[in-house]
Amino acid sequence: MATIIEGIGLNKQFGIGDAAVAAINSVDIQIEEGELVMIMGDSGCGKTTLISLLGCILTPDSGELKIDEQVIDPENQDLSVIRREKIGFVFQLFHLLPYLTALENVMVAMDITKTNTSESEKRAKELLTRVGLSERLDHRPAQLSGGEKQRVSFARALANRPKIIFADEPTANLDSRQSDNMMNLIQEIRQEQNTTIAIVTHHEGLKENADRVIHMKDGRIITS
Amino acid sequence: MNTLFLKDMRYRRTRVILTSVGITVLVSLILLLGGIMHGMRIQAQQYVKSTGADIWISAEGSGGAFIGFSLLIEENMAPLNTAPDLETGSVSPLIFAQARPLIRGKSTKAIVVGYMADKLGGPTGVVEGKMFKSSKFKDYRPEDPVPDEVIVDEKMGVQIGEQITIGTDTLKVVGKTKSLMFVLDTPLLFMDVRVAQKVLLGNYPRVNMMIAKSKPSTIPGKTDQAITIAANLDASDAIEARTVKQTLDDIIGYYVDEPMKAVQFLRVMLWLASGLLIGMITYVTMLEKTQEIGVLKAIGGSNQYVMSLLLKQVAIISVIGVSIGFCLSYIFAAAAPIFVAINFTESIIVAAISIIVCCGSGYLAARKAIAVDPMIAFRGEIDMGYTPQGETFAHSDA
Repeated sequence: MATIIEGIGLNKQFGIGDAAVAAINSVDIQIEEGELVMIMGDSGCGKTTLISLLGCILTPDSGELKIDEQVIDPENQDLSVIRREKIGFVFQLFHLLPYLTALENVMVAMDITKTNTSESEKRAKELLTRVGLSERLDHRPAQLSGGEKQRVSFARALANRPKIIFADEPTANLDSRQSDNMMNLIQEIRQEQNTTIAIVTHHEGLKENADRVIHMKDGRIITS
Repeated sequence: MNTLFLKDMRYRRTRVILTSVGITVLVSLILLLGGIMHGMRIQAQQYVKSTGADIWISAEGSGGAFIGFSLLIEENMAPLNTAPDLETGSVSPLIFAQARPLIRGKSTKAIVVGYMADKLGGPTGVVEGKMFKSSKFKDYRPEDPVPDEVIVDEKMGVQIGEQITIGTDTLKVVGKTKSLMFVLDTPLLFMDVRVAQKVLLGNYPRVNMMIAKSKPSTIPGKTDQAITIAANLDASDAIEARTVKQTLDDIIGYYVDEPMKAVQFLRVMLWLASGLLIGMITYVTMLEKTQEIGVLKAIGGSNQYVMSLLLKQVAIISVIGVSIGFCLSYIFAAAAPIFVAINFTESIIVAAISIIVCCGSGYLAARKAIAVDPMIAFRGEIDMGYTPQGETFAHSDA
């Protein structure tokens, strides 16, 4: 398997002087293509900061990051291009746009990449059908359950055929049944599309779904 | 999905409507104030132009025919009678003064115009009724009875046969003239110059000004004959002479521009207010949308993409607000109790500037908004722009 993402000696500090906090401390990480990785650890251990660095939302203070064999140079590269072309995000609180239907929320991701409307509508319908929401295309987020919103969010993350999807506590706001359904869906899609997925979670019960579990503590990876 | 910004506007329609209404009100006020001033200028000019005179003479030191206190005596008029460049017999005495006549027992603001019916200074005919009887201006004696008659503006609502009291004198309305209102719809009361002397000057044989018409130049192509004549007459120590252009400048400056300086200032303030209004509302909207903007950026939206969404909304709100304000100002102008003349070209310019001001302030607010940290998408709460120190993502996003 090829390495899809690689971080070497990643450091990230917030604040300065006495208030400085090393959120990520000399982290080396590799994620292989098609892998399903769980990143676990206590609150404040740096899990979200790590996927933010790997997902090009934050830039490291030092260290090197490679995505799909391309070295990321934050000083000279437009990171939004990497985010929209290679990365998909699923957020804990779904973050669907309240004024758009489920279909439109998925299409937004393709609007950003300037995909033409008919093509993006077709793909959005396919994805929503795949995640079991073919009957909910015209529903707004307020009309959807938590599990349904998270599935729309997952379909949006898949819209631009990303190399890797980062999911931040995707089941934290779902009940156990919805949580199981969501994990089953993630597994299915990963197998169908060979998508690499990294999930940040507190939920020990999800470990069994992972190919690999990365444990973090105080900004460091302690087991991988 | 190129209608994303429209869907957002529909979702936040209350705010969109309120912002547009705010801009509408401000723009229509700006245009109405401009229309009032333009209307005043038109009214200030129309009487002067209607006389047909191109030389206006007032007493030395008066500052102009309509500006300061001017009383001319016979000796002052001597140079005029001998001026070779004035049309024979065109020199006309004129009284032009504000008064507060009683009409149907009610005190009304009006301007008394005393002139000789067969000379320059007022209408030579009426649209209804008849002209006032003329007195003899030359060789008059104060004790001579004068024809107590007046003709009024057709829009005054005064009927022929009604009486108007000025001071202790009562005049009978005998005719109506084509409407020729002065500044702020002040009606003109036309009467014989002797009558005006009696009711306003205590029967003293004085006039405020003399007006005349210059002879056409004998030099082909020379069109500034009146300027030369006015300059020659002005050299006299007893009188001041002005061309019609100078007189119009005087009258507009005195009756419109000077008193309306505060209004001009108010117009500029209204522009600033409309820019501030849309800037503030856009900024507040941005704060409310911080998390949405963060999410759009997190899923790959560039700064330009987010900026274009915001600017399209600002542009649409501005155009809607300004367009409705533009149309409403014309409706309000038609219904206004005073003469309001909105200049079309000026109103187009005002509308364009208003859109630029609104879009400009919206752009400033949107620039602030796109600096939102996409990291906010990982947070549960809306963070009003907190960026951890040492962050460098912003400069990496185009």
